[in-house]
Amino acid sequence: MLTSIIETDTSAASITTDGLLRQFGSLTALDRVTVTLPRGGVVGLLGPNGSGKSTLIRILLGLIPPTSGQATVLGHPTTKPARYAGDVGALIEAPSFVPGLSARKNLLSLARLRGLPTTRVAEVIRIVGLEGRENESVRRFSLGMKQRLGIAAALLPDPALLILDEPTNGLDPAGIVEIRQLLKTLAAEGRTVVVSSHLLAEIQAACDYLVIIRFGELMFSGPMGELLDKAGARIEVAPEHPADVDRLRVALAAAGWSIEDDSLVVHGSAADAAALNRAAHEAGITLSRLTPIDESLEDVFLEMTAAPTRNPVAASQGARKKAATNA
Amino acid sequence: MRELRSELTRLNRRGIWLGWLGLMAVFAVLINTVIYTIAANGSAPPGGGPGVAFPSMATLESSSGIVAGVSSAASMFGVITLSFWAIATASDYSTGLIRLLAAAQPHRWRLLLGKIGALLIWTVLATTVAVVVNLAAALPSAEAAEISTDFWMDDLVSEIARAWLTSFSASVVWGIIGLVLALLSRSSAIAISVGVGWVLLIETIIKTASSDAGQWLPGTTLTALAQGGTDDLSFAGAVLIGCIYAAVGLIIGLVIFIRRPITE
Ligand SMILES: Nc1ncnc2c1ncn2[C@@H]1O[C@H](COP(=O)(O)OP(=O)(O)OP(=O)(O)O)[C@@H](O)[C@H]1O
Ligand SMILES: [Mg+2]
Repeated sequence: MLTSIIETDTSAASITTDGLLRQFGSLTALDRVTVTLPRGGVVGLLGPNGSGKSTLIRILLGLIPPTSGQATVLGHPTTKPARYAGDVGALIEAPSFVPGLSARKNLLSLARLRGLPTTRVAEVIRIVGLEGRENESVRRFSLGMKQRLGIAAALLPDPALLILDEPTNGLDPAGIVEIRQLLKTLAAEGRTVVVSSHLLAEIQAACDYLVIIRFGELMFSGPMGELLDKAGARIEVAPEHPADVDRLRVALAAAGWSIEDDSLVVHGSAADAAALNRAAHEAGITLSRLTPIDESLEDVFLEMTAAPTRNPVAASQGARKKAATNA
Repeated sequence: MRELRSELTRLNRRGIWLGWLGLMAVFAVLINTVIYTIAANGSAPPGGGPGVAFPSMATLESSSGIVAGVSSAASMFGVITLSFWAIATASDYSTGLIRLLAAAQPHRWRLLLGKIGALLIWTVLATTVAVVVNLAAALPSAEAAEISTDFWMDDLVSEIARAWLTSFSASVVWGIIGLVLALLSRSSAIAISVGVGWVLLIETIIKTASSDAGQWLPGTTLTALAQGGTDDLSFAGAVLIGCIYAAVGLIIGLVIFIRRPITE
């Protein structure tokens, strides 16, 4: 079942949370979330609308306190955000600027607030591809341009930890690829990039590590590959001689594999291929096909999160996965 | 101070230049036209509400006549100041910029002091514009109304200095009230309507209902402050009450700003 390695050495962690609970009145936006995110790489924070992603980010940035529980960012508690504010850049929900000011002046005011050299403004404008438009009033910016400006603002302090809440919102396909590339480059330079999204394909393409939350509950936390491998990964097998189908089924079942009805689809990840092959071979059957079924993250994600009525199957599945991730 | 420079950068935009300084200038012209016209018509000045305290003919002909506009409409200039302090504060919330600012500078008291500092600088500018435009508007207004300006050049510098200083002090207290209302409501529309509604309606009603009760009310106090004292409230009393308003406002503002979570 699902397991994830929870690092106990928090110095190697970019972000840790411990029993983080946040309530808005009677609504529980975050329900005792405990995670440890690695330092370096792109971390995806995935969850459907209203699952608590932005709430988590706000707590991490010290904008709102948790109702209970603790969190650390770059080794410092979120009760002391001033200790890490200089190393963290963030885009929180929609990008926010003074509409009557130019893009450059907006960034300039943020650079001055952080005590950064004004030359940094031109650098981030170039990185996000807004050169030529920087002197225009933000009021006239398109959604995608505002989004780029928001990313530019987050990049200003050249942060060790970059937290981007739905960064590709409103970007065109080329822009999405461009930003994804930028995030990977930043991560390759040793930074930690936390990206929240409900765009699954986006997360799948960009992230090394994944956190999934639903209704404020942690559903999964671990390396991307682990989720794909373990959460419902399957292998399709076929014997060389069609007559051997039933014999193969019996042999594999005897060897402990779980097999889907009416087909020769075995539950297991790509890493299990050799063991499957061996089991078939021992039964004297040669396999003509041994194909891992490439499960997209979308299927896994929907399986984990799509249960608005919390039906018993999904709930118990969720609970199992939750127990496993918390182990 | 980083926070101050950052805030000044944000305030340096056309809407503020034209809106704030423009309104001060327009109002300085208007008020001069009005007070001289009323005085010339010989009609008794309308009862001094908290909005505008109409000066008498004697005042207009005295050495302080040249700055009478600034002093008598102090509440109106105050309301403009209140509005722009409120806009500068509440717009951080409506645009969501407060998230970026507070994430970049978690010591929120520094953010607020930076904002207040920047708004003080703007209030200096706005008061100066009001006084200068008033000086320019007073003479033609007086001539049109055929009011003697013979004494205007006596004590010119000290009259201007006094008018500037009292008007500035009153405006600052108005501004702090606007800031606090904006921090409470996180909406410039609400802050401005409460501020303006208070001066033009509520305070007038309270004073009409009981003429001796409301001397310490903000509109009345700050008008007295701007005029260098009135019959009902001495200058020293106005300064004292004004300082109390400012101090209480600043404390409330700081506490709200530091304590309240940023959920925008
Ligand atoms: N200030 C607030 N007051 C009351 N409820 C809030 C507040 N902020 C968030 N919530 C609630 O908390 C829950 C989580 O909201 P949050 O914004 O964290 O979700 P999200 O995962 O970021 O969603 P999305 O993908 O739509 O951005 C929602 O049900 C939301 O209505
Ligand atoms: Mg969100």
